[in-house]
Amino acid sequence: MKKLYAVLSFGMAMTVAATMATAQVKVDPELPEYKPVSGVSGTLKSVGSDTLNNLMTLWSEGFKKIYPNVQIEIEGKGSSTAPPALIEGTSNLGPMSRKMKDKEIDEFEQKFGYKPTSLPTSIDMLAVYVNKDNPIDGMTMPQVDAIFSKSRKLGYAQDITNWGQLGLAEQFANLPISMYGRNAASGTYGYFKEHTLGKGDYKDSVKEQPGSSAVVQGVASDLGGIGYSGIGYKTADVKAIALALDENSEMIPATPEYAYSGDYPLSRFLYIYVNYKPGSEIDPLRREFIKYIFSQQGQSDVVKDGYFPVPADMARQALESVGITPEF
Amino acid sequence: MKTDAAVQKSTESKKKNSFKRSSRQRAKASLFAQGEPMIWLTGGGLVVSLMMIAGLMTLIVINGINTLWPKPVDLFVTYDNKPYMGEITRVEHFNPAKSELHQHQEKVNSDAVAYFEKHNGIAKRMLVRTGNFDLSGEHYNWVNEYDVREHTTPEQACVVERTSWGRFYGFPSAFLYNGEVIAQDDNQIWETFNKHHKEVRKRWRTQRKLETHEIGKINFYEEKERLKLREKELKFGIESEQWNTQNDHFKSFHARSQSAYEDIRTEINSLKEENDKYKIRFTTADNKEKIIPLADIVRMYPANSLTFFDRMNIYLSRWHEFLFDEPREANSEGGVFPAIFGTVVMTVIMSLAVVPFGVMAALYLREYAKGGLVVSTIRISINNLAGVPSIVFGVFGLGFFCYMVGASIDDIFFAARLPNPTFGKGGILWASMTLALMTLPVVIVATEEALSAVPNSMREGSYACGAGKWQTIWRIVLPRAMPGIMTGMILAMARGAGEVAPLMLVGAVKLAPELPVDGMFPFVHLERSFMHLGFHIYDLGFQSQNSEAAKPMVFTTTLLLITIVFILNMLAVKLRRKLRKKFVSAKF
Repeated sequence: MKKLYAVLSFGMAMTVAATMATAQVKVDPELPEYKPVSGVSGTLKSVGSDTLNNLMTLWSEGFKKIYPNVQIEIEGKGSSTAPPALIEGTSNLGPMSRKMKDKEIDEFEQKFGYKPTSLPTSIDMLAVYVNKDNPIDGMTMPQVDAIFSKSRKLGYAQDITNWGQLGLAEQFANLPISMYGRNAASGTYGYFKEHTLGKGDYKDSVKEQPGSSAVVQGVASDLGGIGYSGIGYKTADVKAIALALDENSEMIPATPEYAYSGDYPLSRFLYIYVNYKPGSEIDPLRREFIKYIFSQQGQSDVVKDGYFPVPADMARQALESVGITPEF
Repeated sequence: MKTDAAVQKSTESKKKNSFKRSSRQRAKASLFAQGEPMIWLTGGGLVVSLMMIAGLMTLIVINGINTLWPKPVDLFVTYDNKPYMGEITRVEHFNPAKSELHQHQEKVNSDAVAYFEKHNGIAKRMLVRTGNFDLSGEHYNWVNEYDVREHTTPEQACVVERTSWGRFYGFPSAFLYNGEVIAQDDNQIWETFNKHHKEVRKRWRTQRKLETHEIGKINFYEEKERLKLREKELKFGIESEQWNTQNDHFKSFHARSQSAYEDIRTEINSLKEENDKYKIRFTTADNKEKIIPLADIVRMYPANSLTFFDRMNIYLSRWHEFLFDEPREANSEGGVFPAIFGTVVMTVIMSLAVVPFGVMAALYLREYAKGGLVVSTIRISINNLAGVPSIVFGVFGLGFFCYMVGASIDDIFFAARLPNPTFGKGGILWASMTLALMTLPVVIVATEEALSAVPNSMREGSYACGAGKWQTIWRIVLPRAMPGIMTGMILAMARGAGEVAPLMLVGAVKLAPELPVDGMFPFVHLERSFMHLGFHIYDLGFQSQNSEAAKPMVFTTTLLLITIVFILNMLAVKLRRKLRKKFVSAKF
């Protein structure tokens, strides 16, 4: 993670400075416009993350505008469904909101003899949401851990079940916290567990929701609600709070510049995994789709969906990793 | 389902009539002997269930119908000079914290405290759909009433529905042709817009048609050639004689399709070029400029100066778009045509599959099998099958149809396409089969009931005339049982069309604009994944990124699904009635 952030901050410092003023993030101008080629057709099947579900749909809509007879089918029921589908061969793209686990990589390697290739397509911040009327501005990670986890691996002294324990007054002083989370197949679930709960266990009282949007809607209609989801799912009814690593460090708000700088504790890449035999030539359909993702059009779809685009350097690396020579 | 309720209702009212007694009779018997409390109990039960159904339906219908109605555009300017322009989506009353209020008063110098004294400490706020996501990064904003310094409904304010980035709210400031301003005055802009919009959209549609149909065709045939080549490679090996001839053939084919492709590309580009000349410049409420190409504008209207008929026009054109267009922007906009089509096709295939099998099974059980332990065990098992959760059928369908049957079909017939599965994944055929399995018990039970309702005297009469067993079944029993079998089919269809959980596993997907039936050989593509209204509702409700905009669409889509199920049922009911009429003389 750290290494990638170094790459990130290298190219992005300038762009970010320019975009601070406006709320909207801009796509790296170095990325090329996508240029259509002929002879691309066939079926693409994507099975995986539901965080990436909308984004995959936007990409496929854009791609289909260029290659009308390409068929793209998208299934998004959670990151854990991506590796089995790639291994079984029932999909050619495996969008995941977390990295593959070692076990999943091993299984893949056993069948094909090489590792799956991961392409970081966009950047997401896993935001902790509270109701819009909740006056709280930020929390430390151990506090979040103490709210969601029964193990409290990050070492907060006591269990937090009440908004009053976080120093809120008036109507919130005695309001119990009600937690919303994702179901276990979700990559968001896994990522949050690993990075916020220190691999501890969720409380049984966390209400598991079938989609990221459902988490946000749950928090929106519940004054004492708290939940986690990708930043792309934010609505006017919820507030993304600032997070700090511990009580001595600074509160970092969930805004794009901190995702690029790597300061926000829960920023992550959204990946697409592909079955690519190193050194071979990738088939034209997937080649063009991947090139489309790392183009101006593809990355502005990322912005449209509320996530943050990747800088040109990362795009170059990603393209090279599947044997495509970047022409920019 | 509704029709059954109606039938129930009519029998209920008949019953009530038979309970009518003269007051003298009533006086003699005790209350319980009269059965009076029972009338109230059963009647009450009916009223409660009717009220629940009516309540749910009203909620869906009102929300579903309202969604597409064009609302006026409001402009709010707050005390800190921030403008919010858009449609009011929701209004809420809330009780803000005192401390926040005072802080507020200091910061923005509003008369917030006075406001609160006037309204007993309850504040009003509005959720405004401000749109302009490409400029602001927000789709919606909450505006507190006590923050508002100025509330107007500007006459020139304009709602633009675009092909991408969602809605846009702004004031048109100029109409550009080839980069030059040709209209600046408000009336002039509208005039030019009305003059050019139709032709630009028409060009856009031609362009889409070229892209989907013409280029699609080229790609489709080229893919076919590629598969032929791959087949030869699998059969004879690469560089073999057969492969070489096929390869030469493929190369010449490729060259030809390449030039055809280039021709169509040039045509598309010239259309695009022509369209790109027309643009409209807008100013937003916060004084930003935005130029939108005319071809990207689906619909544009001055929301505050519309007459009722204008609104009706927009309303109807939105319904038209909703029913007959493909979805856009990750399903949050555009229409649901592929989902309607998928739902109907799936339900029809399911009925075609389930009815013959169900009827055959019921016929054997009722007409041929001798009653005994085995038959009653089978009956109990069938009834139990009806209680198995639908998701279990989904898992079974995935394992059996997709991974076993489908994968074998792929190995035998579609080896050239591997590793890309053809039938070895979810598709409309497997989804229909899974639902057929799920609804099989309903059909069997209903058919058995219908068969047992055919009076034995008719069978005996048939035997007496010298007819055999099968002749009797085919000529006498089945026709008379037909209405009952149709009832079973109606129940199965109603259950199948509304089912979502198993479909998620066996082929319903978020986006599959390719219909399972189209103009390319072999015309019916049963292996394709499909969109389904039920799954679309789930997706809009729980998965969409812009959930605030998607919520009203959930109601509209639900309304549509219910309407479709209703129409399918009505068709079946009509058929049943026709069949019944045929045998009305046979009744004693």
